[in-house]
Amino acid sequence: MKKCSGRIQTAILSAAMCMALAGSMTAGAAESSVKDEDSVKTQASGTEAAAPSEEVTLNFWHHYSAQSPENETLMNDLIPKFEKEHPGITVNAVSHEWADLHDKILISAQSDTLPDVARLDSAWVPEFQKMGILVPLNQEMSDFGDVSGGLLESAMTTAQIGGDSYALALNTNTKILYYNVQGLKDAGVDVPKTMDEFAEACRKLSGTNKNGQQVWGYDEPGLSGWNLCPFIWSMGGAITNEDQTKATGYLNGEKTVAAIQMFADLAKEGAITGWNSGDIPMTDGFGTGRYMMLLEGPWKVSELAGAYPDLEYAVAPVPAGDGGSVSVLGGEDIGMFKSAHKDAAWKFMKFMTSEYAQEAMAKCGQIPCNKEALESDTVKKADFAPYIEQLKTAKSRPTVASWSEIDSKLSEAVTGVVNGDTTAQDAMDQLAAEVDELLAEE
Amino acid sequence: MMKLKGWNKVRVLALLLPGLLIFGIFTFYPIVRLFWMSFFKWDFGSFFDQKFIGFDNYRTVLGDENFRVAFANTIVYTLVTVPAQMMLGLFVAMLINSITHAKIFFRVAYYLPVITSWVIASLVFKYVFNTEGMLNYFLTNVVHVTSQNVHWLDSRWGGMTVAMLLGIWKGIGWNMVVFLAALQQVPQSLYESASMDGAGAWQRFVHVTLPGIRGTILFALVMLTIGGFNVYTSTKLITDGKPGHATEVVLTWMYYKAFSSGKFGYSAALSFIIALVLAVLAVVQFGLMQRKEDD
Repeated sequence: MKKCSGRIQTAILSAAMCMALAGSMTAGAAESSVKDEDSVKTQASGTEAAAPSEEVTLNFWHHYSAQSPENETLMNDLIPKFEKEHPGITVNAVSHEWADLHDKILISAQSDTLPDVARLDSAWVPEFQKMGILVPLNQEMSDFGDVSGGLLESAMTTAQIGGDSYALALNTNTKILYYNVQGLKDAGVDVPKTMDEFAEACRKLSGTNKNGQQVWGYDEPGLSGWNLCPFIWSMGGAITNEDQTKATGYLNGEKTVAAIQMFADLAKEGAITGWNSGDIPMTDGFGTGRYMMLLEGPWKVSELAGAYPDLEYAVAPVPAGDGGSVSVLGGEDIGMFKSAHKDAAWKFMKFMTSEYAQEAMAKCGQIPCNKEALESDTVKKADFAPYIEQLKTAKSRPTVASWSEIDSKLSEAVTGVVNGDTTAQDAMDQLAAEVDELLAEE
Repeated sequence: MMKLKGWNKVRVLALLLPGLLIFGIFTFYPIVRLFWMSFFKWDFGSFFDQKFIGFDNYRTVLGDENFRVAFANTIVYTLVTVPAQMMLGLFVAMLINSITHAKIFFRVAYYLPVITSWVIASLVFKYVFNTEGMLNYFLTNVVHVTSQNVHWLDSRWGGMTVAMLLGIWKGIGWNMVVFLAALQQVPQSLYESASMDGAGAWQRFVHVTLPGIRGTILFALVMLTIGGFNVYTSTKLITDGKPGHATEVVLTWMYYKAFSSGKFGYSAALSFIIALVLAVLAVVQFGLMQRKEDD
């Protein structure tokens, strides 16, 4: 009996193995057949490219996520339309993760395998410009002036370095004030229009709620430039001078220091929070009424609708100070690399920033940079309509290659001030001196 | 050993080649390349045109206040977590070794944290120690020790302590398994004769158990020290270096400098400094153990 059950076990085991093997083999076969098709395709396009006619394959790298409506619009609407309008040009679009794309470009730059065109986070442009891989469009493209004239000036500054333009603004965004409608009503606070009113509102809105939980007037999830610039600029301060060559006198100027001091004071009083490791995440805190106000971008709308559909909130412009109501620009640019098929690449870039393409992308929630698209009904009806006004005054963070380092030092310095280790003036004096050194190396 | 004849040599080489090739391409070459990078000014601004700057990167690293903080944090992390893991692991191993029932249950139970993903464990720890987390809820609403939420994660040593707790909790299981195997190698007869000579439990532990598992202790010590210096996932996820850069460890700092600030030369130099420290530590640890064995 024992022997017999042993045999049965062996039989079962070997049967299972056969099945597993067969399974993996069919999977493998399926995979390889897919691959074959792919290679046939690439071969086909390869021979076309080699043909004497002007057949060009453009490689376009982007970070629209693979499953997003943006990617669908790109693949099923925009690229087919572009290819039809420009016979002979084939666009091979590749989707990457946001962070991967940055590193991938760094690596490809070294191995000389860069794509022709890429959608770039505007914060990367200075880095890549310094590496010397981006084409200065205003110098090489004769109709650059016409094209850039049709795009939002503020967004175009994200790609402007030392008088040259290294990319076209593709889509833009900025932050505006979100507030909890019921929370403000209960506290008898009006929507803050000035920075003084904002500070006062933070104080009044903070405290404890019915359940005895602490409530903060305002949440800021970090202390870097993205977080602080709206306050610094709106209060009349600055990070550097106009030419982005000097920080002393600006970063440690009276008004910048006042903005940092306001942050530190409010933090000390428990009126604002968010940058500590242990704090409630932004969406949850706002959604559950623990944070009464935020500065956030258009993406928050769908996040809140998904997670906290019952939350009653509204939006308003960034509170104004001596500098006006100035928010910080985010968004993406589209640029070409020096190894590109330049004519075809330029045609594609012009297409992607055209009214048609921009309006199509606006339907997926991307704020256009094309001025005509901005006037369209699609935009006027979109969730992001309140942002359009704020965008007119929004500014880009310094377009210098050492920005990420400056940004990190800024966040360190302000952390020290907020924690009470140093005074705002001392921290900013020291920071400005360090940033001067970094800017001198540019 | 048989001497290799011509044909045999070729066959041996052919068999070794794939392994050597992979080792060469993915381990040896990157190390050499990294060493090379550490002597150049290698950042975004000089991506294609690197300047040889000798030991400047090494000087910058050693003079960097943030590096010193990260290094001190790493040392403290290692000094705390390594002995704690080993002692608790050995303790649990001895308990399991001496019970007769439910051995497997306890072995599995203590080993579970080891096979839990670092990412998941870190996120759970973060959730527990958040200012609005489980622990504070327990302290304020259940046992009423305090009415104010404690900011566990928002200071340098607070954040580091949580990371260290996680490291210890996750490491006990591995130590238990290693020590359990070692304990079973110690001959039972030694314990019996020690008992006959009138040795108590503590004396048996010091004079029989410890010498019997000395090799394993050394092995665990070296492995865990290297592991302590390699701590990354937990601190990255729990505090991400905040506040400021007060809770960075050497690896998070290295990653930060390379991939967020683009200072590849700096990070290359930093990694060689750490490698050197680890090599010296390993030599010292082996030396100490050797000397004890010679006594």
